[in-house]
Amino acid sequence: MIIEVKNLKKTYEGKVPTYALKNINFGVKKGEFIALMGRSGSGKSTLLHQLGLLDIPTSGEVIMDGTNLMLFTEKQKSEFRLKKLGYVFQSYALLPELTALESVYLPLMLSGVAKKEYIKKASEMLKKVGLGDRLHHLPKEMSGGEQQRVAIARALVNNPLILFADEPTANLDSESSMVILQLFRELNKKIGQTIIMVTHEPDDKKYVDRVISLKDGVIKN
Amino acid sequence: MNIKTSFFLALTSIKRGNKGTLVMTILIMTLAYVNLVFISSVFGGIVEAINTQSIDNQYGNIVIEPAVDKKYIDNSEAMELITTISGVLGSSAHYVDNTIIKYDERHDGKDIKSGRWLLKSINPLDEKNVTKIHESIIQGSFLEATDKNKILIGKEVAGGHGGDLDHLSLGVSVGDEIDVYFSNDIKRTYTVKGIFSTKSTAVDQMVFVTKKEMESVLKVHKRASEILVKIENTGSENEYINQIRQLGFKNEDIKKWSDLMGFTSSASASFTMISIILGVIGTIVAGVTIFIIIFVSVVNKRRQIGILKAIGMTKNTIILYFVMQALFYGVIGIILGASLILFIVRPYFISNPLDFPVGWVSLKVTFDIIRISNLSLMTAVLIGGFFPAYRGAKESILESIWG
Repeated sequence: MIIEVKNLKKTYEGKVPTYALKNINFGVKKGEFIALMGRSGSGKSTLLHQLGLLDIPTSGEVIMDGTNLMLFTEKQKSEFRLKKLGYVFQSYALLPELTALESVYLPLMLSGVAKKEYIKKASEMLKKVGLGDRLHHLPKEMSGGEQQRVAIARALVNNPLILFADEPTANLDSESSMVILQLFRELNKKIGQTIIMVTHEPDDKKYVDRVISLKDGVIKN
Repeated sequence: MNIKTSFFLALTSIKRGNKGTLVMTILIMTLAYVNLVFISSVFGGIVEAINTQSIDNQYGNIVIEPAVDKKYIDNSEAMELITTISGVLGSSAHYVDNTIIKYDERHDGKDIKSGRWLLKSINPLDEKNVTKIHESIIQGSFLEATDKNKILIGKEVAGGHGGDLDHLSLGVSVGDEIDVYFSNDIKRTYTVKGIFSTKSTAVDQMVFVTKKEMESVLKVHKRASEILVKIENTGSENEYINQIRQLGFKNEDIKKWSDLMGFTSSASASFTMISIILGVIGTIVAGVTIFIIIFVSVVNKRRQIGILKAIGMTKNTIILYFVMQALFYGVIGIILGASLILFIVRPYFISNPLDFPVGWVSLKVTFDIIRISNLSLMTAVLIGGFFPAYRGAKESILESIWG
C-alpha cells in the first residue's frame, strides 16, 4: 500500500461541532487512480486535504510510503509536500505574475535543482501536457483548460509519489474537462502515476480504477 | 529558507506587478529618505551656523582670561609668542570695559539717549586674523591701528538696521559723536567710524576702539582682559591649550569656545535633540508606510501564499519573498533620495542659503547623516516588511487559499 488511512477523524469545533470525517479507514495501492465522490458536504475534499497534508486531522493516522505523516513537523510537511506530493486545484491556482515555464519550474527551483536542468525538465513537462508552444505565456494569456494543464505540469514536475486533484474540471467546459481527464488517465497508465481525485461528476467514473464514495463523513462502499 | 526562490519571486513580482504601484511606492520611499536626510542636514546646518558664528565673531577657538585674583593678563612675552605655535592663525588681545554710552542728537542736553554696553579694544590688524567682524561692516569702515577718537559700534547699539533691540539703541549713524563713560569715570567723545552686523545679537551689542586709545584711558600697557586665539583645525582646541599653557600662562583661565557658549550651547543641543526626534518620527512613518504597502500586497496575494505553501514552500521563504520586495523599495528609495539630496537639494541650498537669525544656514550633509539615514530606513523597511509577511505566511494553507 502506498497510502494507509487508519481511524481518521476531522471535527470542526464550534458551538455545534461538525464531524466532517468519522473514523475513515482505507488503503491505496501504488499506481491506482482513485475518485473520491459524494454530495457536497460529504467530506470528500476534507479527506483529500488530510491526505495531502494541507490540513491537520483531529485524530487517526495517514501512513504514506511507510511513513506516518502525523508525526511530521511543519518543516518536514513542507519538504514532503514539495518532494513527494503534487496538487491540482479546482481554480488552476497559478501565480498571475509567472509564465507557464516559471510556474512549472518553481517546485524544482525550491528543490535546489540547477537552472539549466529545471528549465529543461519544466519545458519537457509542458510539452507532455501539450503546451510546448505556451512556455512564456502568462496565465491571463491562456484559456482555463490550458491553465489547468500548466497546474498539472507543475504538480508532476517533481515526479510525485501521489497526485491529488480537487475537482480539477469543475471550472472547465466539457471539452477541456475531457482533455484533462484523458491526460490523467494517460499519466496513470503510462507512468503508473498514483492519482486521488475529488469529483462529483458521475461520468468521471469511467476514467478511474476505483471510486470511494463518501456520505456524511463516512465511506459508503 | 530558499533565498534564490524568494529573490526570483520578489523580482518577478516587481517586474510584472502594477507599474503605477511600483512608481508610487518608490516615490514614497524616496521622499521618506529625503525627509530623513533633509531634516538632519538643516538642523546640522543651524548648529554649525551657531558654532561658526561664535568662533568667527565672538570667541575665536580659544579664550585666555586673567587668573582669578587678577584683573589683567600681564604676561606680555607669552602673549607675543602665541602666534608662533604651529597651527595658530592669529591671536587678538582685548581690553574689556563695561561702559555707559550717551548720544545727544541735538546737543542741547535734552532727549539724550543712553545705555550700558560692553566696550572692547582691539588691534585691528590682529583682530582681522581672529574674528570676521571686519567683514560685517554695514556702514562706514573698520578701525585702523592709527585711529584716534574713532569707535566701531554694533547695529544693536547704533539702531536703525533692523536689530532685535532697536528700541534700546542710540539711533546713531556713521559720523555722529557719542560720549563714552568708562568704569574708571573717564569720559571720552568718539566719532562713529563704522557700524557692523554679525547676525549675533551678543556681538552686535559691542563697541570697539583701538588698543592704544584704551590703554590711554585705562592707564595700562601691554596687558589684556582677554586674548582670543584662532586655530587651523576646529576640534583640536585641547591640544593647543596645552601648548599655550607651556608658553607661560600658568594660572590664566583658558577655555574652548564651546565652554563659553552658554545659551547658544543649549540652543545648539536643543536643535540636535529636535533633529533626532524628527528623525525617529520620520523613520517610524517610513516603517508604517512600507508596512501598509506590504500588508496590502500580502492581503492581495493571500491565495498565492496558500498555493506556494501547498507546493512545499516554507514559511521563512515566503516571508523572505515579501521582505526582499520591501528591501528593494528601500534600496531604490535610498539611491534616488541620496541622488536628489546630493545633486539637487544640497547644491541649491549652497547657492541659496536660508537666512536664519543665527546666520546663513545651508544643508550640512555629512557621511554620518547619510549612514544613519540609510540604516534607519533599511531598519524601518525590514521591520515594516517583516510583520505583514509573517502574518500572511503563518496562516494555514486552507485559510489562505479559500479564506
